[in-house]
Amino acid sequence: MLSRLEAKKPSLCYSEPLTTEKVRATLSVLKGILTSCYGPSGRLKQLHNGMGGAVCTTSQSAVLLRNLSVTHPILKILTTSVQNHVSCFSDCGLFTAILCCNLIENVQKTDLTVTTTIKLNTHLLNFCTNYLRSEVCGCRIPVDFSNTPILLCLVRSILTSKPACMLTRKEIDHISVLILRAFLLTIPENTEDPIILGKSIIVPLKGQRVTDSTVLPGVLIEVSEVQLMKILLVRKSSPLKVVLFSTSLSGDFSDPGEGNVVVSDGVFLENAVLDQLINLGRQLVSDRVELVLCQKVIHPSLKQFLTTHQVIAIDRVGVMLMEPLSKVTGAQPIGSLGSISPGSYGSVKDWCSAKFGCKHFFHLIPNEATVSSLLLCNRSDTAWDELKLTCQTALHVLQLIIKEPWVLLGGGCTETHLAAYIRHKTYEEPGSILQDDGCTQAELQLIAEAFCSALESLAGSLEHDGGEILIDMKYGHFWSIQAGPSSVVNWTDLLSRCGCGVYSSQEELGWSFLRSTCHPFVPQTCLPHESWEVSPQSAHSLTLDCLTAKLSGLQVAVETANLILDLAYVIEDKS
Amino acid sequence: MAVAGSVKMALQVAEVLEAIVSRCVGPEGRQVLCTKPTGEVLLSRDGGRVLEALHLDHPIARIIVACVSSHLRKTGDGAKTFIIFLCHLLRGLLAITEKEKDSLTLENIQTFERRWKNCCQWKCISQALVTFQTQILDYIIDEYLSRHFLSIFSSSAKERTLCRSSLELLLEAYFCGRVGRNNRKLISQLMCDYFFKCMTSESGMEVFELVDNCFVELNVSVTGLPVSDSRIIDGLVLHRDFSVYCPADGDIRVAIVREIIQPVFSTYRSEFVLNSETQFQTSQIWIMERTKSIMKHLLSQNVKLLLSSVKQPDLVIYYARLSGISVVDCLSSEEISLIQRIIGLSPFVLSQASLQCEISDTASVKFCKPFILRSKTYVHLGLISTCTFIPHCIILCGPVQGLVEQHENALYGAFKMLQQLFKDFDLNYIKKANNQNDTLSPPIYKNSGKNNQLPKSYTHSIQRPYQDTDIKNNDELEETQYLKVHSNLVVSNVELETYIPCSPPKMIPTDAVQTDETWRCLPLENNRVIDDYELLIESNSASNSITENTRIEISYENFQVIDIAEKRSMLPVKYKSVDTYKSQSFCSSSIPAGCVLPVGGSFEILLHYYLLNYAKKCQQLDEIIVSKLIANALLGIPKILYKPKKGNHSFPQIYLRALHTLQTNQPMVSSWAGLESVIGKYYLLTSVLQCLTKILTIDLVINIKRQPQKNSDQDSEDELQH
Repeated sequence: MLSRLEAKKPSLCYSEPLTTEKVRATLSVLKGILTSCYGPSGRLKQLHNGMGGAVCTTSQSAVLLRNLSVTHPILKILTTSVQNHVSCFSDCGLFTAILCCNLIENVQKTDLTVTTTIKLNTHLLNFCTNYLRSEVCGCRIPVDFSNTPILLCLVRSILTSKPACMLTRKEIDHISVLILRAFLLTIPENTEDPIILGKSIIVPLKGQRVTDSTVLPGVLIEVSEVQLMKILLVRKSSPLKVVLFSTSLSGDFSDPGEGNVVVSDGVFLENAVLDQLINLGRQLVSDRVELVLCQKVIHPSLKQFLTTHQVIAIDRVGVMLMEPLSKVTGAQPIGSLGSISPGSYGSVKDWCSAKFGCKHFFHLIPNEATVSSLLLCNRSDTAWDELKLTCQTALHVLQLIIKEPWVLLGGGCTETHLAAYIRHKTYEEPGSILQDDGCTQAELQLIAEAFCSALESLAGSLEHDGGEILIDMKYGHFWSIQAGPSSVVNWTDLLSRCGCGVYSSQEELGWSFLRSTCHPFVPQTCLPHESWEVSPQSAHSLTLDCLTAKLSGLQVAVETANLILDLAYVIEDKS
Repeated sequence: MAVAGSVKMALQVAEVLEAIVSRCVGPEGRQVLCTKPTGEVLLSRDGGRVLEALHLDHPIARIIVACVSSHLRKTGDGAKTFIIFLCHLLRGLLAITEKEKDSLTLENIQTFERRWKNCCQWKCISQALVTFQTQILDYIIDEYLSRHFLSIFSSSAKERTLCRSSLELLLEAYFCGRVGRNNRKLISQLMCDYFFKCMTSESGMEVFELVDNCFVELNVSVTGLPVSDSRIIDGLVLHRDFSVYCPADGDIRVAIVREIIQPVFSTYRSEFVLNSETQFQTSQIWIMERTKSIMKHLLSQNVKLLLSSVKQPDLVIYYARLSGISVVDCLSSEEISLIQRIIGLSPFVLSQASLQCEISDTASVKFCKPFILRSKTYVHLGLISTCTFIPHCIILCGPVQGLVEQHENALYGAFKMLQQLFKDFDLNYIKKANNQNDTLSPPIYKNSGKNNQLPKSYTHSIQRPYQDTDIKNNDELEETQYLKVHSNLVVSNVELETYIPCSPPKMIPTDAVQTDETWRCLPLENNRVIDDYELLIESNSASNSITENTRIEISYENFQVIDIAEKRSMLPVKYKSVDTYKSQSFCSSSIPAGCVLPVGGSFEILLHYYLLNYAKKCQQLDEIIVSKLIANALLGIPKILYKPKKGNHSFPQIYLRALHTLQTNQPMVSSWAGLESVIGKYYLLTSVLQCLTKILTIDLVINIKRQPQKNSDQDSEDELQH
């Protein structure tokens, strides 16, 4: 009580936080950490806690930002904003964070007033989102769910961009097929509106080969070997009648009310409860139930009773599996020990026992249901955690694709193309970006330059091995040359395909280095149809991003940068 | 702490606060980032929030912050303006005392400021402030300012209707000061839409009260999405997920319950004795049967949705699912009471005695479905309102919680502001009916007043800080000598211990007689005064011509000329004061609901102008001082607002133009599109004056070195323990 009333210490208040050297330094450190993680060749970070705990190797923003202890309030704004974005969209976290850092850094160099900066940034953002959503956009591809290669490319791109999963090319192919299959299993067959997607349960299997991972329809319940042996003794029939309990069947006396309950001498409630449980068991047996699943504990006597009557009883299923189980079996979770209405029973097509690695599973095979289990294997704990997160990201991104069936070109091509397009528009038609609110064309050009170079250096941070980055002058796409012995006379020979893989360098293209100043050119809009109606072989190499996630990332990055630039004071509560 | 020092100290404190606050004020204002000890970050442009986040421990600062907070609770607006205005008032007060020191060096022993200092001290000023606030302010607003008021209602013949474009202007101007500049358009549109969607034609204050009380329940915040995803949705979104969801359509009826439906073995302060195993089993069966029968009964009443403020046990959930009744439990009591207010439904009570429970009250809902926002499920209810509030929810999105909270607070403040605006406000004051003036020659009177006014205001508002010349002091001398004549009246009124009569004896008797009469509120029929007035008119017109001539030469740079003008113009004022004794009558008028003025300092400039005018006509010393003090302090706000503007839109230019239009009786033009509430400004002014009075009346700060204690809480806790 007293501690709560303790007088507060005065807060620390300082003005123009961004101008201080310390803030700039910490921002650039953060940016350094994030950029070095970005992309397929990004460097891994080992999160080490001297106090103990598991070692974690990662390159994902979600894990990284969760574990970084950021103290400065400005950095906190940045990181929480990125984390919130990631929790909504799962993808494009690093993209958002790096773009935001770049924007803040670049805009500060321009010496324009904050008001104009923010105004113009917002205009540019609106311009970008309008372009990316428009028909003429040169870097987006429609997704047709009958065209699995595109979806596969998307999943593969996500897996490739997370090097901490430690997957080989072959393993990536295997896992991406599994993810896509698991996702397709969650889509209900009868497509009434609105579509309610099912669920993919990720089942951990650590220490196995990645290629041992698999997808199974239905639910896997892990059981001990002894238990499984007992279950196997029970004769099978098909389909099975299932009952699902959400209440405890252990005979505990749950809610006596607010007053007192007095038990007289010689009265044994345990016996009474056990009687009740056995009665329940009798009803189950007479109703020809063959499988009893309980979220909590089943009393050993009841279990024994059920087993002797050829009923399989599995308890301690856990609350996480309740909803999928209810979906798979069609049974309603029962919360009463009283008589069970026949409508609460469900059924499954079949069950089988399965052994993966050293784990034994009880596998429920549904008639038709939208639940699937993804058995995920990886060699080490930390790599498995990373892979699990990546799979969740991929599944989430696929869900987003249903809502907005478009993908953007990945591999840095969208960024460079967008930058080229903005440059071109600011010089040719500044009126299309500037709305009538008192900003001059010169101011627009300054800010647009800052904005474009933020996008370009974001694309540039995909390259970590000292290679050179080029932009073609026709499409505005991103090309990288491997660093190596400069014995080759014609460096254009080193270019094979652009970052996203849509174009190859056979064509007559003009080149410009990424960090050099180049004349604004008109990047070709409207992707040719052939580029995405390609044969599976060439579609194989496309790098793609989810439009929804990336667009929101772009918006969040600019909004957060604006927010941080707009700060006049920071008041730190020191109590 | 010495009293005289306290003003200086208060000014220092206020200046520090002003420095922080002035960067966030107005459309060009910027954001402040506040961290909480819990590690959360909050973005704010709300002055009150910023001040509270500072955790100031200076005693005067704490008075100021407390005053700002209480003002905000009332009006929801104006914290930053509060600080700026207070700062200027303190500066003005200090300038009066400084000036007096100067006059001492010039050996002007008779100056009234010195007497002021000697006789009245700060207490007198604070009393004068109270008098001003309670009497003069209302008079000036009703008499002069009200003619400039605009209304956000488009007044048709029969009834007033709210004009959407006006409301948009008002809200946009409000959000200019409260949210970041890239979001203000969006937020004000959101607010405007929300307002019009929730209101019916017959909605009144009760809707404001409802929104005010239940604001938290009426909006949902979502982080991680761009701000532009914020929207308004029809119906009510409960911050919970269904415990049981059974899709239903057709006639969906809803029931509210505040207790656990399943009967329990024993209730509070009772005892249940179990004598045998069978008794236990039968009672358990009875509990099950009863729960089942309650659910059956609910279903027979067509209840498809059960809203519960407590967590319902598994048994209830199970039977609800069997009966196809959706259940939402663990609702907060605020949510329950909001629903009750909207649909006018009371919770049903389970009787322990009879098995057949009576459900008297159910209501229909249009729909009830899950609502997924950022992978979290909410309950979306289409309530059919029985009151004038049509339920709608605001979904606020933003990249960080701090920003969402800022928008939420701004919306809440906007509602408070509108709530104040939509009420009539009563003004009460003692009107000094000036019959003679009105009947004789109002036009001349008016002219003289205004022409005199202009040069005067120059010196006070712009020039004073830079200029300190002999001529100036002469002016003061002249002015003070005339004022001194009436000062006895002031002094006697406020009952001060020292009173030095040192004025021309001829004037005293008339003063005394007239004040006596005025206090008795008798109408005046004094021929001699009328004579005097006629005399005055002549002198006025004479001086007018002079003033007019000199005024041609007036330019912003040339202070010297202005001084002369002022000096001349002092003359008529002196005489005029003789006849400004008027009969008094108590007046009550009102600021009607919906009164607005253009933004950009219109209110301040207008009030400044009329206050100076009033000061000219006024005969009481303290009223003059206080009116001038406030009039000049008022200009501080537009000065800051116009700071970033250049050239033709700089403050001096705007000010000159405003004065000119006022003198020529033209309508005021504002360079900003936007409106602000008059009543809000009025409240602000009174709050600041109250705060200043508080600061001035404190003569000692006593430090208590003890843990702060909450008296009432402590007591009640003790009682519980005993």
